[in-house]
Amino acid sequence: MAMKPEEVLRAIAAARGDAICVPTMTTSPAWRTIAPDDLSVGCTGFMGGASSLGLGLALAMPKRRVVVFDGDGSLLMQLGSLATIAGARPRNLTHLLFKNGVYHTSGAQEIPGGLSVDFVEMAKGAGYRKAYAVTDFDDFKRRLPSMLSDEGPLLVELHTGLADKTPMTDRGGLSFNQQIDNLRKRLDTAG
Amino acid sequence: MPESIPAPLIIDTLKDTFREARGTSTREPLGWILSVPDTHQKTVLAALDKERALRVVTCATEDEANAVAAGLWIGGEPCVLMIQHAGLYASVNTLRGVAMDGRVPIFYLIGLLSREKDRDLKDSRHSMVRFAEPLLDTFGVPHARLEGPDDVHRIPEYYRLSRERRGPTAVLVGLETI
Repeated sequence: MAMKPEEVLRAIAAARGDAICVPTMTTSPAWRTIAPDDLSVGCTGFMGGASSLGLGLALAMPKRRVVVFDGDGSLLMQLGSLATIAGARPRNLTHLLFKNGVYHTSGAQEIPGGLSVDFVEMAKGAGYRKAYAVTDFDDFKRRLPSMLSDEGPLLVELHTGLADKTPMTDRGGLSFNQQIDNLRKRLDTAG
Repeated sequence: MPESIPAPLIIDTLKDTFREARGTSTREPLGWILSVPDTHQKTVLAALDKERALRVVTCATEDEANAVAAGLWIGGEPCVLMIQHAGLYASVNTLRGVAMDGRVPIFYLIGLLSREKDRDLKDSRHSMVRFAEPLLDTFGVPHARLEGPDDVHRIPEYYRLSRERRGPTAVLVGLETI
């Protein structure tokens, strides 16, 4: 049975420490409820950019863990970022891929290739240090500490069901530039 | 008539720009170059390969480069995007979403591949040359031309402007660098 995205996010929130998190699309509404802090920045308004945004953060702050909550449809929009990330070799980047096989926000149309798309093999082929899939919540909880500490770049394909909310059914939250300002203040990089 | 600019002059200017941005910080690298390879600026890219003070991240697409720039800026790191006009056209939604709506200062060095030496941009035979400035104007992106070595001061000037206005600015590299 597929994992519930909200359960996964709650477990991450409890274990993340001071990691910067980068949600996108259907993880965004749940994450801002579960972790309403300023140590996150959502990829909003440029679908597909979460992995690259996370890469920039990871390169800028090499002593801090950066965790991207990507979507399968989102990653397909900038699939080349797997190679870009692998080439830059950020040791502190954890790339979590919430795989549900559909574009949930626009009505759950199947992504190209559906659930058969193997992002683990793609990440390995691109040159990620490690990539594996997790299908079971107990296994996820067991492996979470290493996901947050193993040398990156690391991709974990999480087999999840649909989130309760999407950015279309729950439109709240701060704008991208407000999130950026808050995070810069929190990181003390605002100058 | 426009003139080609030597790669070392551009790289030295980028270093000075980053030094100014860093202020008293001695953090390394001095600055970041986010590049999607551009034939027009290939001598600069080749020289950057041997440059230790600057770190180059080669991106697969300009969309990625914009998003990486946002992450670097959030983390307090200075960067410059080196792309080609075709890449500008390919990534306008990300420019809009990241640099404009996100108010992320992004400075672009944009190569005008196929720009003719004897024609103004607006009279070029090539649409990719002709449309660069009108596109930037449509999006309200301040821009300037590098028409020769005397224009390299535009690099720090427009880098600074991107920070002051918290948005995108661009300098267009007129002729192929040497």
